[in-house]
Amino acid sequence: MLRMLVLRDLQRQYTKFRLGYLWSLLEPLGMALVLWLVFSVLLGERALGLQPYLLFLSVAILPWWWFLKSVQASTKIFRRMRGEIAFSGLPLQIWVFRTVISSMVEFIFSLPVIVIAMAVTGFLPGPLIVLFPVAIALQFLLLYGIGLLVASLSVVAPDVTRVVKIILRAMFYLSPILYSISNIPASVQPIAALNPLVGILGLYRIGWWPEEQTSAWALVTSLSVAAGFLIAGLITFKRLKPRILKEA
Amino acid sequence: MSILEFSHVSLTMSQTKRRTGTGKSKRLRRFAGETKRQVIPVVNDLSFSVQAGQSIALVGGKALARTSILRLAAGTLIPDSGTVTRSEPIVPMIGIARGFGRGYTVRQNIYLVGGILGLTPDQVEQRIPQITEFADLKSILDRHLGAAPASTRQKLAWSIAMSLDARFYAVDQTLVVGERDFRQKCWTHVDQLREQGATFIISADNSKVYRRFCDRALYFSHGKLEADTTVAAALALARKARHAARDSED
Repeated sequence: MLRMLVLRDLQRQYTKFRLGYLWSLLEPLGMALVLWLVFSVLLGERALGLQPYLLFLSVAILPWWWFLKSVQASTKIFRRMRGEIAFSGLPLQIWVFRTVISSMVEFIFSLPVIVIAMAVTGFLPGPLIVLFPVAIALQFLLLYGIGLLVASLSVVAPDVTRVVKIILRAMFYLSPILYSISNIPASVQPIAALNPLVGILGLYRIGWWPEEQTSAWALVTSLSVAAGFLIAGLITFKRLKPRILKEA
Repeated sequence: MSILEFSHVSLTMSQTKRRTGTGKSKRLRRFAGETKRQVIPVVNDLSFSVQAGQSIALVGGKALARTSILRLAAGTLIPDSGTVTRSEPIVPMIGIARGFGRGYTVRQNIYLVGGILGLTPDQVEQRIPQITEFADLKSILDRHLGAAPASTRQKLAWSIAMSLDARFYAVDQTLVVGERDFRQKCWTHVDQLREQGATFIISADNSKVYRRFCDRALYFSHGKLEADTTVAAALALARKARHAARDSED
């Protein structure tokens, strides 16, 4: 059932445009190129992030794209599905699950962007690349938690949708996407570690740049915040379930 | 034996209402069309039980209240207080036609909605000939549903729900669908199901449907169960209430 829902989602994405699947590659690729142009070429040798910068960017941009799309879609999911919810015998969580999976599949489809960037820069990963799938799994759990949280809350208060938008924009700059975690002053690093994306993005990058993950303690903090989101999401959803059914 | 039991069920729902009035305060917010939320009681301390094989008509009250009772029965709504117990799964025929996507083919839509109703893909596959036969859509099975007329969607929804062969249906407003032939086919099918002992709860705005199918009626007013009688008596009560409302307006 879930497989079918996801297939339908992708189909809707890809049949609408002439280039279809290619957009999954072109969109993040375009974004990476623009940022690379600004931060590497125009601003010159400011030593932001690690080299080669184009690859450094795309490794983080793709997961960020997945994160962004999934959270944005989650805020609206129950309202979009209100018709189906009225007659569906399926557990309510499936709708959030589906948004996260759909955007994850799209993320996986867009991974060739990293291969392209590797080919262009000729920078190959080390053995720690095995942590890449681990990062995907962790991000999945984080997104499921956040998804349940924002989806439930935005049914009760639609204003949450707007707040989430602002937070997402802030997250883009507060997470080590454009820059490396080592660019942050050491005194602020413990605070930055509270951002669950710091740990996950670090795991994505560690295959190419082993120095990216500075302290194990920061990783643990970051991942426990992610676990906290998952638990908070599950609890909030459980408590708000009657209201979601009523008001979606 | 009772297969569905409502015991002291209450439910409130919130409705949005546009800000009205002419006062100075909140003038800007009124201008922006902002709405405020209102909590209205929909179902109030409702208790009844349904025996297997009965057909129940829900008469009176607002459409929202009747739909809510059906959703409560089917379990797609959780009451604020009280309990609903059912000993058999109920097929909620509540706006199924809204679940179809225009971008998908008829076949894909059958899988999709069948899945949402709880069928596995294999079960859907078995039922596809039966569904298309019933809805008479064989010729467009692999075409996009697109802008198909509402009657086609409703026919499809019906055929899928009917193919489930369930023992208990909660039907909302949809017994009168399609053209005369199709309606006749549906109604014969419902008759057959009833003979086999299936149970129905029906909410419709067509008293013909009630007269034809139902052997028991629940009459509601302001979310309260006022009478548990025959269909004719309940319809008479509803008529009387309408007249009273009109008279008080004059």
